[in-house]
Amino acid sequence: MSQVTIVDAPDLSTKRHEFVLREERLGHYSEFRTYFTRIFDLDRIGLSHPGYLKAPSGMVYAFVFLGRSGEPFPAGLEIFALPEALEPFDDDAVDKDTWAILCWMIDGVGAPWTRADLEKTGRIYRVPAASEA
Amino acid sequence: MLHETISPPPQLGEEWPYRPRFKQVNGWRMHYIDEGEGEPILLLHGNPTWGYLWRKVIPTLLDAGYRVIVPDQIGFGYSEKPTSEYAHSLDGHSANLVALVRQLDLERLTVVCQDWGGPTGLSLALHEAHRIHALVIMSTWAWPRPPAEFHKSIFPWRTMHAPLVGPYILGTHGGLVSRGTYLSVVGREKFREEAQSVYEDALPDAASRLLSWVWPRWIPLDDSARAISRFEWLETELSKTDWPSMIIWGREDEVFDAETFANRFKEILPHAEGPHLVTGRHFLQEDSGAEIGVLICDFLAKHKAAEV
Repeated sequence: MSQVTIVDAPDLSTKRHEFVLREERLGHYSEFRTYFTRIFDLDRIGLSHPGYLKAPSGMVYAFVFLGRSGEPFPAGLEIFALPEALEPFDDDAVDKDTWAILCWMIDGVGAPWTRADLEKTGRIYRVPAASEA
Repeated sequence: MLHETISPPPQLGEEWPYRPRFKQVNGWRMHYIDEGEGEPILLLHGNPTWGYLWRKVIPTLLDAGYRVIVPDQIGFGYSEKPTSEYAHSLDGHSANLVALVRQLDLERLTVVCQDWGGPTGLSLALHEAHRIHALVIMSTWAWPRPPAEFHKSIFPWRTMHAPLVGPYILGTHGGLVSRGTYLSVVGREKFREEAQSVYEDALPDAASRLLSWVWPRWIPLDDSARAISRFEWLETELSKTDWPSMIIWGREDEVFDAETFANRFKEILPHAEGPHLVTGRHFLQEDSGAEIGVLICDFLAKHKAAEV
């Protein structure tokens, strides 16, 4: 069962957006774009607001989708952690959260993509969070 | 500090005693070395290395009286590293090399290429055909579809550079420049001790590793792929050439295996010498650099003697 859940927009008044990861070609394999479009209802909400996910550490992450002329929407995606405004975030916790988000994404995209293949790939390349999984 | 970010570190010493040079090519700052005098040889690396990959080949070529030019492809080594995936294209990288060769006004040029040095370097050769004397081809490809199952597989190839996964595994964690290079040589412990940190130091952070996941995405997997027409052109035009050519391959190369890839080049270039099999996986220069240098010198000397 995934430890990543979609949540409503949090109170951002005491938070900051801390960059974590950028993907400029979400549609390189189009099923990934299809998944995010479906899960965040992007055909309806477009660029009106980010999507939000709560990850295993309890941190909420903003998913900011990117449009690009001449390409289907969303063309890309930036992931931001939302820590307290002046608090440095915990690198290790954010890395584990990022890995959990990737696993959640692969589960959602579905076959032929599998979490088992992602975890094996992560272990080949010595990704710490994959080794602990 | 600035020096460290734009030039190879001086502590490389005897392993890399060459003066760093820079040219503005196609809008980007390209680092290269240009050593020796004589007929020029251009040595082209691919993903995720830099000119250092050729360090064991270069001395033999210089001793034999050749001029050796080794650029770092834009996005790698000590060349400028664009920060957007959209700054990279196959044609753009080929044009970078065309710009360098024109600025140096190289004639009777031998192009030696490996990995993405192949599609880019062979495009350069076909576009600047009047400058070309010979080709040496190693662990690469020049046709539209990947002929090996490896590049079609979900695990590990497509997963490795999938959306968000590529920026994380290969960017944040440097998977290709660290683990990937290590797995792609035969003498792994020697490589770890002597060279691995040199490649890692050239790509020290996630942003600098952008091209390491972008370039895999340029390998065409179906007819809708971005570079399909360029690869069709490459195969067609390459098959029309009659330049002296030689094929060298790593005997232990599992990714671009010799039976599939080297033999395909032999079909496209039936007049080519080889394939010569040497000890090596994908980065065969690490395991057999000196031997490759001798093969190139012998090959060029043979054709020079035939011209007299």
